[in-house]
Amino acid sequence: MQMLFMQCRAEMLRIIRNPYYVFWSLLMPIVFYFIFTRLVNAGIEDASEWQARYLMSMTSFSVMGSAIMTLGIRMVQERTHGWSVFMRITPLPSSIYFFGKMFGQMVMHMFSIIVIFAAGFLMNGVHLSAGQWVGSGLWIWLASIPFLALGTLVGTMKRVDTASGVSNMVYMILAIAGGMWFPIDSFPAFLQSIGKWLPSYNFGSGAWDIAAGHSPSWQPVLILLGYLILFMVLSTYIRKKQEAV
Amino acid sequence: MEHIAELQHVTKRFGSKAAVDDVSFTIDKGSIVAVLGPNGAGKTTTISMMLGLLEPTSGSVRLFGQTPKQPQVKQRIGAMLQDVSVIDGLKVREVLALIRSYYPRPMRLEELAALAGFTEEDLGKRAEKLSGGQKRRLGFALALAGNPDLLFFDEPTVGLDTPARRSFWEQVGALSDRGKTILFSTHYLQEAEVAADRVILFNRGKIAADGTPQAITAQLTSRSVTFTTDTRSLEGHALMSADTEQHIRERLLPVPGVHDCTCQEGRWTVTADNTDTVLAAIFRYQLPVHDIRTQQGRLDDAFEIMIHNDDTQGAVS
Repeated sequence: MQMLFMQCRAEMLRIIRNPYYVFWSLLMPIVFYFIFTRLVNAGIEDASEWQARYLMSMTSFSVMGSAIMTLGIRMVQERTHGWSVFMRITPLPSSIYFFGKMFGQMVMHMFSIIVIFAAGFLMNGVHLSAGQWVGSGLWIWLASIPFLALGTLVGTMKRVDTASGVSNMVYMILAIAGGMWFPIDSFPAFLQSIGKWLPSYNFGSGAWDIAAGHSPSWQPVLILLGYLILFMVLSTYIRKKQEAV
Repeated sequence: MEHIAELQHVTKRFGSKAAVDDVSFTIDKGSIVAVLGPNGAGKTTTISMMLGLLEPTSGSVRLFGQTPKQPQVKQRIGAMLQDVSVIDGLKVREVLALIRSYYPRPMRLEELAALAGFTEEDLGKRAEKLSGGQKRRLGFALALAGNPDLLFFDEPTVGLDTPARRSFWEQVGALSDRGKTILFSTHYLQEAEVAADRVILFNRGKIAADGTPQAITAQLTSRSVTFTTDTRSLEGHALMSADTEQHIRERLLPVPGVHDCTCQEGRWTVTADNTDTVLAAIFRYQLPVHDIRTQQGRLDDAFEIMIHNDDTQGAVS
């Protein structure tokens, strides 16, 4: 128990002290939110609806980023620095090590959601019912799990440079093509049809639905579950192959 | 005597190359064992197998009578490895507390800080901000965090300056006095000689020799007796006669263990396994010599050849 507690605490401390986390996961989405609701699309008709929707987009964008990048790059770093080798000779079970990481991440996701929601509320007075706030927050929180699995996939890469380059690119493509920056309806038809199968679109769409006042359909849930299984299987397979020396 | 570690016919192959080839040894409780050998001799590979980081291709490794992967084994060992940096984002105190929490009977934090030489201020620093030497000391403290019975140090003094080396070996001695068993690897014969009470010499994945540091040193270095000949007492002037030369050679070369007997500018050098027998022969035959000195020679050619060959072949370990 002590072990588990210490591990979770250490992982949380490490994330919150990481300047990249604070910049990419908190500052960037809030700045984007400010730009696209206060400066660029300030005078549009259904402003309050747009402001609520875009708040969901930016929150999902933030959480998706920390899941893929913070987790993935850190895993590569720990391996290249020999730290994961050291962990293997300590009595800490690898399950607790892994759980500690996931727990730390999930707490940070929760924290990001609260901070960005609060920023939206303070900036634009985004008005949602209590149920919508909680529901969309929970959706973003839980649906971030497949992206953690994607993060562990990034974590199997050999070099920090590769991992950070690849994960940055994947992150940006997922965010833009999945309609997190600009609504997917404004894309050409073929991009829309691809985008709708991306995990990022399905991640956002649940939250958009809740913010618009209806419950999310089963489709995004199933697609995200599919991605979760895919990423987990891939990353387990690659790790097993790497360890078989 | 309790066997802390036991390796039986352990072989580790990487592809077709055997990094460790049919190695067997046991380690007794409380001993300080040096695994000595040139780079690529299989030292690190052997230690990695003992730590459960690598699976032997064949043979068995037992620590405390169990396989190294058992949690009960991991609770009783600690290690300082090569190429392990520090965890980032945590203060020294936090890292120590974290690693201590993994063990059932950890060493007290104050004691760890004292052993690593960390001040209160150091403990509050982020681990990644420490200097190179401090990072190494943190690694030392982490190896001790669980108060282990068996400690592994893989090339612990590489990159340390002389005072740091000395204080490291002093601490190893102190740990041994507390009943801990210590195994370290090194490619310095002198270090093995000073710090260990047993040396296992590795070469090309095999054990080349195993014994006390004195025995290994004797095996790896040449010893010699040197002296000058007192020519005046025989001839009355400072010239050495061919007879005297002949006489000395005839007396000393047959002595058991004598390899060579040479004379350069009036000073003789007799290389031998045992310098005592050479001295005994000198006195027995009352050879006309004086200014006798015994010397421990430099490393035996064999050891240098071993190291040299290995450098050209590239490391495996």
